Amino acid sequence: MSVALALWRRSLNEVLRVRGALLPATIAPVVFLLGMTGQFGRLTGLDGFPTDSYLSWIVPLSCLQGAGFAGAATGSNLARDIEHGWFDRLLVAPVPRPVLLVGPILGGVTRSLVPATVVLVVGLALGAELPGGVPGLIALYVACAGFCTVAGLWGTFLALTFRTQQAGPLMQQGVFLAVFLSTAYTPEVLLRGWLAGAAGVNPVTHVLELARQATVSGIEPSLAHTLPGLLALAGMFAALGALALVGLRRLGR
Amino acid sequence: MSAAGEGRVVVALGRRALTVQFRRAQLLMPTFVLPLMLLAVIASGTSAAQGLRGFPDVASYLGFVIPGTIVQGALLAGLTSGTAMAGDIEGGFFDRLLAAPVRRSSLVIGRLAGTLGLSVLQTTFFLCVGLLFGAHYPGGPGAALAAIALAAITAVAIGGLAAAIALRTGSLSLLQSIFPFVFVLLFSAPAFFPRELLTPALRSVAEYNPLTYVVEAVRGLLTGNEAIGDPWTGLAAALLLAAATVSLATLALRERLRTA
Repeated sequence: MSVALALWRRSLNEVLRVRGALLPATIAPVVFLLGMTGQFGRLTGLDGFPTDSYLSWIVPLSCLQGAGFAGAATGSNLARDIEHGWFDRLLVAPVPRPVLLVGPILGGVTRSLVPATVVLVVGLALGAELPGGVPGLIALYVACAGFCTVAGLWGTFLALTFRTQQAGPLMQQGVFLAVFLSTAYTPEVLLRGWLAGAAGVNPVTHVLELARQATVSGIEPSLAHTLPGLLALAGMFAALGALALVGLRRLGR
Repeated sequence: MSAAGEGRVVVALGRRALTVQFRRAQLLMPTFVLPLMLLAVIASGTSAAQGLRGFPDVASYLGFVIPGTIVQGALLAGLTSGTAMAGDIEGGFFDRLLAAPVRRSSLVIGRLAGTLGLSVLQTTFFLCVGLLFGAHYPGGPGAALAAIALAAITAVAIGGLAAAIALRTGSLSLLQSIFPFVFVLLFSAPAFFPRELLTPALRSVAEYNPLTYVVEAVRGLLTGNEAIGDPWTGLAAALLLAAATVSLATLALRERLRTA
């Protein structure tokens, strides 16, 4: 436990000591939030859109995006540690190997609170609604923390597989794809063609629904909107966690 | 050195820029794959927008949104060239180039020649992928060639701006971290939606963004409908932007040499 906490603190130090380290990961979702709202704001005029505030529809998406990028950064940092030989030194420590991953992923989850909160505050300041109240907000933050963990495991798996920082774009593209191949822009009833099928099987669609309980008036906080999201997160956690552990076991052999 | 000699330097540096780009697959990912991913998601995710009142009557929704992808590609190609230049500065290669008996401005123009080549390849690729997935370009092949040229000038313009930042700061990490601002330029233009249907605040901002006129011009060319976008206004916007940013890059180089 103390090892995990020490590594968690180390990953937070990177943010506190490197000026502007969180800036790109925070600015990108805010830019997407503003850009998407400005471009596609009129889509709420279509039949089947559950809210008339497109900003409220996009805020949870941008929060998840920011949290996902913060999680993927865990993988980039691990790849850097592997390249520089620091992780090799950790591997010879007398602790179970999985513990070495817990701290950095917890660090990612802590870091993800910054972009998620900044996006939420910007969204609310610009007029996004908060009909879900406190239960909705809890659902939003649970979705962000869970998605960040999943993205962290994805990044960790890639870092342990490729062992180079050059895999960084792949980690981010994975998050990007996972978020956007869902009901990112419009609800499922308005999706057309292949994206409707992709969103139907993409577990992130359910995570988005979990998060949207905070800001979308047509998705009230309820077990029916919460359970699928939690199950989707648990499924992704199990699958990507197993892959990360396999990668960790192979390291050094 | 003679003009022909300088021309050879520009071509050699342009070819080097392109070769580096294609030998490092991780550089191709953001410039070729990311815009297509966004196109795929937007074209499928927002196609119901054609049902909105005021949406222009177009042959294909994919053909309508692809100009946004083309301009996004131009932005990323330009930014990539600045990032590569910052890498050359940090790695010391640029200092070695400065010692060569060539005109200094040829070093900047050579880099931008690579950006131009990259943009031509990229835009052609985007148009072909769009065609494969059912986009129609009623403007015809001539209009597609004009759109490719317009995108290339825009890429040079953004490349000039990125080169100016690279020369001024010499910081690779700074260039990498301005990536999100590319999307500020993109989203503050009617990249994927008609200008008339943007939110009022964004519509006001879009008027002052030169990329608005470029994206509308590309859209007008590809759809064969000048009412959607005037090609000459787009060309004027792209040329003015390119002239301004290439001058900025040249000034930044002069400043770098003066303070070195």
